[in-house]
Amino acid sequence: MTAAALEAARVWLVVALTLLGLFFSFVSMVGVLRLPDLYSRAHTASQADTLGAGFGLAAVALTVGLAGAGFKSVLLLFFIFVTNPTAAHAIARAAFEEGIVPWTNGDERR
Amino acid sequence: MADADPPPGDGASADGPVDSAETSGPSAEASDADATSGPTTSGPTTSGPTTSGPTATAGAIIVPVEPTSTLRSTIAHVAEAAANDGAPALHLVEIASWRDGDPESDERAAAAERVLERVAAWATADLDDSEAPAAADVEVVTAVIGADDYLFGADDYVRVLAEYAEENAADRVVLDPEYTPVGNTTLLQPLEFALSNTSLSVETAPVDRPTRRERFRTEATTGRFVALFGLSLAFYLLLGDPTYWFDAVTGVATAAVVSITLSRVSLDSTPAIPRTPMRIARGLVYVPVLLYEILKANLVVARVILDPRLPIEPTLNRMRVIVGSGLPLMTLANSITLTPGTLTVRARDSDLYVHSLVPWAREGLFDGSLERWTRFVYYGRRSARLPTPRERDDVAILQGDDATEELPIAAADGGAVGAGDESDGGDETDAAESIDDEVTDR
Repeated sequence: MTAAALEAARVWLVVALTLLGLFFSFVSMVGVLRLPDLYSRAHTASQADTLGAGFGLAAVALTVGLAGAGFKSVLLLFFIFVTNPTAAHAIARAAFEEGIVPWTNGDERR
Repeated sequence: MADADPPPGDGASADGPVDSAETSGPSAEASDADATSGPTTSGPTTSGPTTSGPTATAGAIIVPVEPTSTLRSTIAHVAEAAANDGAPALHLVEIASWRDGDPESDERAAAAERVLERVAAWATADLDDSEAPAAADVEVVTAVIGADDYLFGADDYVRVLAEYAEENAADRVVLDPEYTPVGNTTLLQPLEFALSNTSLSVETAPVDRPTRRERFRTEATTGRFVALFGLSLAFYLLLGDPTYWFDAVTGVATAAVVSITLSRVSLDSTPAIPRTPMRIARGLVYVPVLLYEILKANLVVARVILDPRLPIEPTLNRMRVIVGSGLPLMTLANSITLTPGTLTVRARDSDLYVHSLVPWAREGLFDGSLERWTRFVYYGRRSARLPTPRERDDVAILQGDDATEELPIAAADGGAVGAGDESDGGDETDAAESIDDEVTDR
C-alpha cells in the first residue's frame, strides 16, 4: 500500500514537474515572439534554459532515480547554468558593440 | 637620452676601472644577491649616496614587479639602463591585486613586501657592480601601490602607475616581458597599449624569456596540478563506475593528461587550504539562494510576457560593482544574466552594463542582493556587508524618462566615454524615488 502510494506520488510529481517545465518553455516562446528587440528577447530566452530545462531535468532525475542518469541530469543542469548566461551575454555584448540601441517605450516595434 | 658613456658589458666583470669610489665596498657580497634577504628594508631603500643628484636630466624609471621567471634579468637590464642614462631613481613597484581590508590582504601584502625586498637587493647589487659613473647616484625605491581599490583591467593599472609616476617625477616605465599582475591572463599587451596613451615612455626589457625558471612558478603549479588532477579524476569516476578497476586506470590516465596540459590554463589561482574549501562551502549556500531568485524572477517575467498589454519598460543601466576581477566578476555577471529580467550586456572594468526588462528587475539589481551574495561567496561574511550599489550611488539609468546618464553606445566604436566618468547627476536619487512609486505590481 505504502509502496504503491509512493510510486503514485512519484509519477504525479514527475507529471507536475514536466508540466511546469513545459509552461516556462511555452512562456519563453511567447516572449521571444512578442518582445520587441534582441535585448529583451535574450531575457526570456534564458527562461527556457533556467526553469524550463530545470523542471524538465528534475522530472528526468525523479524518473530514472538519482543513482545513475539522475546524477548526470543534475550535472547537465549545472553546465546549462554556466553556459546559458555566457551565451546570452556574448550575444548581447556583440549587439552592443555593433551599436544597437536597446528598444525603449515609444519606439517602433522592430 | 643616453649620454656618452659606453655601455659596460654585462656588469659582471669586476676587473675594469671603477670610477665611483663608493661602489667598491659592498660588491664582494653583492655577487651573491640571490641569497641576500637581510640588509634591505621594506620602506624606501637607498643605495649609495643620493644627495649629489645626477647631472643628466632623465627622469626616474618605474618597473612594475611580479615574481616571474624573467624578473631577475629585467632588473639587471633596468639597473644598467638607469646607471647609463643617469636616472635619479629606480622605482620597483608592486601593483596590488588585492584590496586592503580583504581577508588575506595582510598575507598577500607581506608576500609582496618579500618579493620587493629581494628585488631591491638585486637592483642594489647590480648598481654596485655597474661601471657607469652615475650608478652610485641611482636611488632604489620600492613601493606597493593600488591597494586601496580593486583594480580590474589594464586601464586601472595604468591609472595607478601614472599617479605614482607623477608623484615621483618618473617618466619611463620598463616592463618585464612576462609581467602579469593578475596572475592568469596575459595583460602585457593591453597594458602596453594603455600606457602608450599616457605621457610615460614605455619599453619592454629585452631579455631572453626562458633564462631563469626559478622556484616561483613551479611552486604555484604543483598545487594547481594536484587540484586539477583530483577534480578531473573525481569527475571521471562519478560519470563511470568508481569500483570498476578499468575505470580507475583510465581515469588516472585521463586526469593526468588533463592536468599536465591544462593546469596552467584552467585555474587562475592556486587553491589554498582554508580559502578554497570555504569558497566552495559558501558557494553551496549560494546555490539555493540563486535558485530562489531565479524562480521569483521567472514568475514575474512570465506574468509580464503573458499579460496582453505587455507592460515592459526596458532600459539599459550602469552599475559599478565592488567585487574582484576575474572569477568573482564572472559569477556576478552570470548570476545577473541567469535571472530573467536582467541581462549583463557589457562588463567594462568594474562597470556592469545591465539591461533590465521591467523596473522591478532594475530595482532588485540596484538593491545589490546578488552582488552581496557574490562577495559573501568569495570573501566571507564581513565583506558582504558593504552598502548596496544604490546607497553607494554607483548606479545609473541610461535610457527612458528617468535616465540619469548618457547612453554610451557611441563608445562602442571607441568613442567619447572614458573609463572613469562619474557624471552621475544630483537628480539621481529623485529618479530612484520616482521609480519606487512606479513599482506597484510586485
